[in-house]
Amino acid sequence: MSFLDLLTMSASNLWRRKLRTCLTILGVIIGTTSIVVMLSLGFGLKRSYLKQVESSGGLTTVNVYSGNDYYYWGDEDSSSTEKIELTDEVIDEISQMEHVKFVSPILNAELILKQGVYQCYANVKAMSYDALEKMNIPLEYGSIPTSDEEVRFIFGNNIITDFSNTKTNEYYWDTGELPDVDLKGDFFAIYDTDAYFSSMWGDSEGNKVQAPKKYIVSNTSLVSGGVDEYNEYSYNIYANIDAMKKQLKKVFKNKAIPGQPTTKSGKPYSYWVYNEAYVQVDDFNYVTDVQKAISDMGLQAHSNAEYVESTQKQFSTIQMALGGIGSVALIVAAISIANTMMMSIYERTKEIGIIKVLGCSLGNIRSLFLMEAAFIGFIGGFLGLILSYGLSAVLNKVLARYAGDMFGTGSSVGISYIPLWLSGLALIFAIFVGIIAGFLPAIRAMKLSPLSAIKTE
Amino acid sequence: MSEPKSDPVIQVKDLYKFYSIGSNRVKALNGVDFTINRGEFCSIVGTSGSGKSTLLNMLAGLEKPSKGQIVISGHHIERLNENQLVKFRREHVGFIFQSFNLLPTMNAVENVALPLTFRGISKKTRLAKAAKMLDLVGLKKQRFHKPTQMSGGQQQRVGVARALVVQPEIIFADEPTGNLDSNTSAEVMNLMKKIVREQNLTLIMVTHDNHLASFADRIFHIRDGKILKIEDNTNKEVLNDEEI
Ligand SMILES: Nc1ncnc2c1ncn2[C@@H]1O[C@H](COP(=O)(O)OP(=O)(O)OP(=O)(O)O)[C@@H](O)[C@H]1O
Ligand SMILES: [Mg+2]
Repeated sequence: MSFLDLLTMSASNLWRRKLRTCLTILGVIIGTTSIVVMLSLGFGLKRSYLKQVESSGGLTTVNVYSGNDYYYWGDEDSSSTEKIELTDEVIDEISQMEHVKFVSPILNAELILKQGVYQCYANVKAMSYDALEKMNIPLEYGSIPTSDEEVRFIFGNNIITDFSNTKTNEYYWDTGELPDVDLKGDFFAIYDTDAYFSSMWGDSEGNKVQAPKKYIVSNTSLVSGGVDEYNEYSYNIYANIDAMKKQLKKVFKNKAIPGQPTTKSGKPYSYWVYNEAYVQVDDFNYVTDVQKAISDMGLQAHSNAEYVESTQKQFSTIQMALGGIGSVALIVAAISIANTMMMSIYERTKEIGIIKVLGCSLGNIRSLFLMEAAFIGFIGGFLGLILSYGLSAVLNKVLARYAGDMFGTGSSVGISYIPLWLSGLALIFAIFVGIIAGFLPAIRAMKLSPLSAIKTE
Repeated sequence: MSEPKSDPVIQVKDLYKFYSIGSNRVKALNGVDFTINRGEFCSIVGTSGSGKSTLLNMLAGLEKPSKGQIVISGHHIERLNENQLVKFRREHVGFIFQSFNLLPTMNAVENVALPLTFRGISKKTRLAKAAKMLDLVGLKKQRFHKPTQMSGGQQQRVGVARALVVQPEIIFADEPTGNLDSNTSAEVMNLMKKIVREQNLTLIMVTHDNHLASFADRIFHIRDGKILKIEDNTNKEVLNDEEI
């Protein structure tokens, strides 16, 4: 028998018993949907988690802190290992490591920004031009500040909420109204914050102090995204490190720059010491390696890698449990397929006998019944997938808010996610289940005696 | 008409078939020997329970003999396994059933074309062949009728067409007119005889009706699983007509 004949014959046999076929298919639809939707919850969970991690610091980022300036994490013994300072030399060394895409020192500068009645205590992260460029910070407008110009900022899209009204002392969070700050306009920057506070409240001895000099900063760039949106750049202010160094030297002249270590006599060093560095690794899989190598140098290194990996593993376990629950429905569907096939074989005993007498080979008879079962699996799996996508969309719509609250992610990432390969796999699996369920009945049909055709009831 | 007696198509030697039901042992066939030549029309007659169907089923490879040999066109069919038996039937044998056994979901042409499907013949060819076969049995008009839309005689003619469409060497028929009235029976018998003669086919038919048996060239009389006598009918055709 040709494949097409087998196909049409088994399809027409299913068509003959429409109602029963539909009911059996319904079982497979429910089974497939329950598995796919359950698994999709797991994938959704993983995906939204990854998105969240990405937005809060990235998956390939390693944050490096100098050994002695930062508090220690867990390992008390680290006091015995030699601690080194984050100097340009050390930064250079890190940049030579394998899989390090780039590294930039971060010079933290605390300053006060003022515009009209509004003021902001800003912690500026000054980084190299290369790093700022390679970080691919999405900019609403403006450009990356270069070394050759005056200090210029990139504002995170949430920075505006850090401005407070000096008259009322109210923040955005108090009023719910965005401060009337023109981000594109000029700001006064006060670098010598100690002097500024002393000028307002008097110094430690209560003497009046002259207010420090203010510098104008203009042409600020802005990270794209609204005030409600969050990404890893949202709450930061970036500047060019070379411009910042030049500026700080100009402001403090021979005095010690705040944050920079001094000799015992209070004199500044001739070189810069950073308390932070930003390292990008070229691939997520090497993050732990790079992290380890940096720690071995006597520095503190942190990344999301370990945490992400262990969380992903946990999610996989949850997902497997969900899939297991979902598969119960499919097992029931498989039994129902087997039952349907068995019944149809009992009904068609005579017919099977006839086609056997007429010379239908045993293999063809088996194929006929396997195909019927596979058909049920295929149709059920296909419709089940359509239903799954529908359900997944509904879940994402209805539960988007809850998911957002639960994982702190935006509504852009759904709680349920069906990867394309999952739908392909589900379809193949449904067909496979049909064939498995149809196997025993098919063997039974094959072994029926042709004599049953001759015996008249 | 003279048969080439030297061309045996079926040879049966020392054939036995036992059924055991509990401690009872039924000898359905109890030592049968005969030879049938190509182009012969043989009928098997006997009382109910004498073993006619058992013999026919074994010749068609539907049942295994307990003992003995059946050689058909050179094949020892008692040695074939089930797969080979199906293949053997597909290639050598046509079968006409007492209860017609047409598939109720298919119309006349599709039923006739069915055995061709199992031979992997394309849809176009097999439907054309089936239609031609239906013309031959005089059912041109009923071509697209379902079995339930046809009389018993018409259904059996579809059955005959289905057996003939694969151009088998041998046709087996177990009481092919058992469900038909005597006039229709005679019609169907004449039709079968005519086609078998024209195409030089071998026809073996089981019946318990002596009149229908007399259409055959040779009549095997069976009782209690044994051949009582083999009646050669070729020379007595005139005589038979007188008897009736
Ligand atoms: N499957 C079976 N199991 C047990 N005994 C059987 C079986 N088939 C047939 N027999 C017995 O074998 C004997 C021959 O049966 P068979 O069907 O060949 O008779 P028959 O000549 O065709 O009769 P009828 O004219 O009524 O059809 C009977 O005694 C019957 O009881
Ligand atoms: Mg019988």
